[in-house]
Amino acid sequence: MNQEVNKLQELLARVKRNAALPRTLVSGRAPEPLAPVYEPPAAAFSPPAYIPPPSEISADEVFFDSEAPPPPSVPTAIPPAQVAQAAIDASVDELLLEDPFPSVPPGPSYSDVLEDPMPVAATGAPRQLDHEEDVSGVMSISEFSDEQPEELLEDDIVEMTATEAAAIPMVQNSLDELSFADVDLDDKQAAAPSEEEPPVSSSRSKVAGTMDEALARAAEQIELEEGREVPLKTPPPESGPQAAVMPQGMHAPLAPDIEELLEADILPSTGVRAAVPTAEQVGQTVDLDEARGPSLELDHAAASSTEELEEEAVASEELEVTLPGREFGGGYQADLMPPPEARQDLDAHRQREEAIPPPPESLAQYPSPAEAQPSAFAPVIVPSSVTTDSYSESVSTVTVDAPPNAEFAPELLARPEIGPSPVAKFIRAEAQRPKTFMELLDSSLSLGSD
Amino acid sequence: MSLNFDPSYALEFDFGRGQIRMANASARVIIPCDALLALCQGANEEAVRDFGRRLGTEAGRVMNDRLGEAWQASLETVLEHLGGELALMGLGSLGLERWGQALVLSFSHSPLGAAGDFLLGSVLEGAMQRSFGRDTVAIKLMRDDQKVRFLMAGYAGARKAGNWLAEGVPWGDVLSRLATRGAS
Repeated sequence: MNQEVNKLQELLARVKRNAALPRTLVSGRAPEPLAPVYEPPAAAFSPPAYIPPPSEISADEVFFDSEAPPPPSVPTAIPPAQVAQAAIDASVDELLLEDPFPSVPPGPSYSDVLEDPMPVAATGAPRQLDHEEDVSGVMSISEFSDEQPEELLEDDIVEMTATEAAAIPMVQNSLDELSFADVDLDDKQAAAPSEEEPPVSSSRSKVAGTMDEALARAAEQIELEEGREVPLKTPPPESGPQAAVMPQGMHAPLAPDIEELLEADILPSTGVRAAVPTAEQVGQTVDLDEARGPSLELDHAAASSTEELEEEAVASEELEVTLPGREFGGGYQADLMPPPEARQDLDAHRQREEAIPPPPESLAQYPSPAEAQPSAFAPVIVPSSVTTDSYSESVSTVTVDAPPNAEFAPELLARPEIGPSPVAKFIRAEAQRPKTFMELLDSSLSLGSD
Repeated sequence: MSLNFDPSYALEFDFGRGQIRMANASARVIIPCDALLALCQGANEEAVRDFGRRLGTEAGRVMNDRLGEAWQASLETVLEHLGGELALMGLGSLGLERWGQALVLSFSHSPLGAAGDFLLGSVLEGAMQRSFGRDTVAIKLMRDDQKVRFLMAGYAGARKAGNWLAEGVPWGDVLSRLATRGAS
């Protein structure tokens, strides 16, 4: 399949490429029929030498191919007047059949073509035009250039048998016969299909020779068609919307029944559908852990009679549980047990709190009440006064008054009171002070004298 | 009589003549202390004593000239004027102590040192002789770095005190003994 697509693409590319190339008239018609003024070419025109296909080469030509080539034949020049006359003779219909909008300018003149150094093989042999070239009327300029000829595809190759080749008339080496061979060629192509036979490699079905063979082939075709699906054909846009036919065995998912789903949520343990999950629910099932904590229980007296049962059935619909009010929004129930992961965190937090030592307590502060243990040695009452006696700036002493109700309060001993009495007696000795220096000097001179 | 000592213009330096004169006194000679001490150390005790008494007699005479009647002068006045005159000689600062009935005179900051104590005592004996007409003996009681104390006594008391001091009796006890035995 891909090969066929590739072939078609190559063929399309080739057609486009050939369409872009200049066209030359092989026939004797004027190249520019629409040109207002016709200027005949200065050089004589001669058609390119025809290279016959191998099937058209006779055995004599093959055998004498090694001999020296015959002298080049003088190309038959078309007189300018003859070419102009041919253009005038061209009918309007033929002109219209040609490409009315040539996309490329006219090709080179015949004089340029003659100057082309392309070797001409068997120039002396009569030029035998191919039927395809005659049909299209287009000759690729690549034949006049140095470029390599394009490779022919399979579609371009037409197999010809010896009889078919012999049926093709020999092309005369005259332009008149070449230019007017279309009618003969059409007749020849019309007669060719009747005579040709399909090749062996062709895939076309052969016509059954007998009735049995035709029946057998029909049976095989039916079996092949039953085994494959009929491809959906894209409807044309103007046909409007079409209803798609659902294949057998498939159906669209049904819309869920809301009521059934609600019942399944309300009463999950009742009913066969709730107990057996559907195929859609199996993949989306999430296993939930059991609820921790106290379970909510609704107490109501057991019904003893049918009336009570009926009343209870009515009341059960109205049985309501009052949710905790707003005052419990930030609280919690004291008897709730913490979850196991929270318990581990709580233990770790308690260990961290125990590991942190209490901050140092300043001497100027009271002992913290939290550390005060109920002991007989500890003060029961917080002292009423604290005095700080400091004899130096670096040392501070804190004196705390002992509580009066302590069991082991210090015993205070006081010195007995003593009445006021003279401790020392000073006797003032009154010496006469000499009034003059002479008196003192006389008294001092008297010392030691008997 | 309270006449304050006024040392103004006490010394007069006559550079033209090369003389130093003290007011109301004869000419003075400024000599080095060590030279004076060397002279005193080379002389006998009587010569030093006489030398010193001559210095004191001069100081007493100047004081008497200032005070007029020195025998009526008080303790302070004698100390002020006699001390002033001895200071002008450069012998140190005079002090007065009264231990009971004993009269103790002292010198402080004397440039002569311990070697000049005998000379200083002699100066005091000459000033007492000249000012008050009494023969006294100056007994050296003690000596320290700054001060030297002299007991102004008569001959009897000076002998006893000298003996006790020689025996090692503290100078306080010597004064007490002199006062006690003198009183008894």
